[in-house]
Amino acid sequence: MHRTELDEMQVQKRNMVGNQAFMLLFYLLLIDIGLNGFGFRWLQYPMNVFVNMLGCRTYYLIRIIWNNSYVGPRTKTKNIGRQIGLVVGLASFVAGTAAYLEKDSLRIPLSTGDNGAMILFVFSIVLFIVLAIVSVITKWQAKNDE
Amino acid sequence: MSKNLKMKSSRAAKDMSQKDLADATGVTRQTINAIEKGDYNPSIKLCISICKVLGKTLDQLFWEDDEDA
Repeated sequence: MHRTELDEMQVQKRNMVGNQAFMLLFYLLLIDIGLNGFGFRWLQYPMNVFVNMLGCRTYYLIRIIWNNSYVGPRTKTKNIGRQIGLVVGLASFVAGTAAYLEKDSLRIPLSTGDNGAMILFVFSIVLFIVLAIVSVITKWQAKNDE
Repeated sequence: MSKNLKMKSSRAAKDMSQKDLADATGVTRQTINAIEKGDYNPSIKLCISICKVLGKTLDQLFWEDDEDA
C-alpha cells in the first residue's frame, strides 16, 4: 500500500460522506430553484448557488476530517512551514508582477457590478473558520488517542 | 458486530501497540481500533496482512464461534 494513500476504512467513510454531501447539494439547489419559482429570492444569483456549494463543501470537509479520512497513514508529515512559505512567496510574486504590469490601470476604479468581491470575502472568512475547526478537531482527536 | 478480543490479545502478546500494528499493516491506528472494537469489517486483504504481522491464521483471529458472536 502506498503510504500517502487513504486506507480502506478511510476510503469507505470518505465515499459515504461524499455521497451525502452531493445529495445535500442537489436538494439545496432544488429547494433554491423552488423558492425562486415562488418569488422568494434570499440572495442574488450567483451568490445563492455559491453559498449552497460553500456550505456543502464545508460540511464535506468537516465530516471527512471528523472521520479521520482526510490524511492517509503517513509515517511523517511534510514540512508545512516550508509549504506555506512557498505559497505565500508565490502569491506575493504573482501579485507584485501583476501590480507592476498593470500599474496604470490600477489607478482607474473598476466597477463590474458582479458579486466577485463579496464571494471572495465570504470564501476567505469561511476558509479561516474551517481551518479553525480543523485545528480544534485535530487536537481533540490527538487527545483521545490511546 | 462483536469485539475482536482475539486480535487484541494477540497484539498484546506481541507487545505491540495499535500504532505499531497499524504501521506494519499500512493503515491508520483508527482503523485497527475500529476492527478491535467491532465497528469495522476489514477486507480479506487487510485480515491476511494483520495475520502475517501477528503470526496467526485467519481462523485464529477472525473466526467467530457461536459463543463468541
